Amino acid sequence: MHRSAGSDPHLSIVTTPPGSDAPGLPQPDLVAAIPRLRRYARVLTGEASRADDLVQDTLARGWEKRRMWRSGSDLRAWLFTIMHNVYVNQLAMLKRESANVSIDADPANPAWQLPVRANQIDRVELLELMQQMGRLSRDQREVLLLAAVEELRYEEIAGILSIPVGTVMSRLSRARNNLRQLVAEPAPGLRVVK
Amino acid sequence: MKTMPISDADIHAYVDGRLPAARVAGVDEALANDPALAARVAEMRTQNAALRDAFDLVLDEPIPEHLLAAAVPPPSGRSIAARALRYRRALPFAFGIAATLVVGFSLGWLVRDALIERTGTPTSFARQAAFAHALYAADANRPVEIWANEEKRLVGWLTKRLGFQVHAPDLTSVGFLLVGGRLVAGNEKPTALLMYENAAKERLSLQVRKQTSGSGETAFRYAHENGLGVFYWIDDSCGYALSGNVDRAQLLKIAHVVYGQLAAADAAAPK
Repeated sequence: MHRSAGSDPHLSIVTTPPGSDAPGLPQPDLVAAIPRLRRYARVLTGEASRADDLVQDTLARGWEKRRMWRSGSDLRAWLFTIMHNVYVNQLAMLKRESANVSIDADPANPAWQLPVRANQIDRVELLELMQQMGRLSRDQREVLLLAAVEELRYEEIAGILSIPVGTVMSRLSRARNNLRQLVAEPAPGLRVVK
Repeated sequence: MKTMPISDADIHAYVDGRLPAARVAGVDEALANDPALAARVAEMRTQNAALRDAFDLVLDEPIPEHLLAAAVPPPSGRSIAARALRYRRALPFAFGIAATLVVGFSLGWLVRDALIERTGTPTSFARQAAFAHALYAADANRPVEIWANEEKRLVGWLTKRLGFQVHAPDLTSVGFLLVGGRLVAGNEKPTALLMYENAAKERLSLQVRKQTSGSGETAFRYAHENGLGVFYWIDDSCGYALSGNVDRAQLLKIAHVVYGQLAAADAAAPK
């Protein structure tokens, strides 16, 4: 899709030129956060190429908003917040763009791909778990990743997703129950051949 | 001794190590008295561990260069956004092909790296174009996926799949009418194929795809592949191939018409 700087909120022009007064982001921490950003992005988008695009947009947005970052606070949680917002905005945009072209699959809901290449996985139950993850809703996948894998506090997750803590907990509860049931009774088409 | 009621939220927080210390003892006690609850907690912990094992694999992957570059302070906030956009335009849509190749679970993953690294040369493009034309032009009943009576839908679909505005040139001035079009798997990017036919039922196809970054513009080049003439050229990072079983002079004339119409459409398009 063609995107123009004028219509994309994430490509907006920074009005204040960077100078010596502009606080920077800690670059080593930023680089260190990239693998986790990629992981979160894959769980969000379900597709590797779009995930890396999302990481790149998130980093670009992070630099634009670097004045908003409070030195000493958790850079990872701050970047996750940006990524979540960038993604939600992009989804809204994609849905608008695809409203009059309906023949193809909805670009906002690409087929779930394994977050890693199948040959990277040496345990069948992990492969199955990753496949079943794709059958959860995006909301549930997201909360499960942030709580169980990233091990963030529920309050931090609530902040990242801009939802109440109670909603985090109910999504987490549903995500866990659904995933447990899916793994226990995998759909016939998804059964792993050993 | 009486056990305090344990909520579902308490159990999740307990499993995630997020329960306030004052309440942990209460849950410990409840678990000791309730084997079913203890089993559930154990299962949740196993699930957490499996999720970490599975998704930690992503962390081991090498970080792509362009993401490392995006972590460097930009000379200005605008330019990094522009850089991201340029990159996006230069290397965008290899994955449409991968998507069509997905069989069972995510075969796309296996081919992804191979696809992205290979760079198609104009020569191989001409050969592929000739093959695709030979395959589909010979098909009397189903040469295209979407017929010309739905041209708008066709162009919208191809535009969406290729990631840039596709135009179907009007070749009536040289005696050819649009039959329709389809998507063709190319070396690395999806290719749009537009089929044309004249009154003598001779068919031509115009194939368009995004070139990889670095391939500059070229003049018209002519190749003779499998008995077919192919004129191909690269313009504004898109590769074009016009193939057909017509003589070289006529094909060149048509190629000029195509080129002129595309240039005009491009000039008219909002930048």
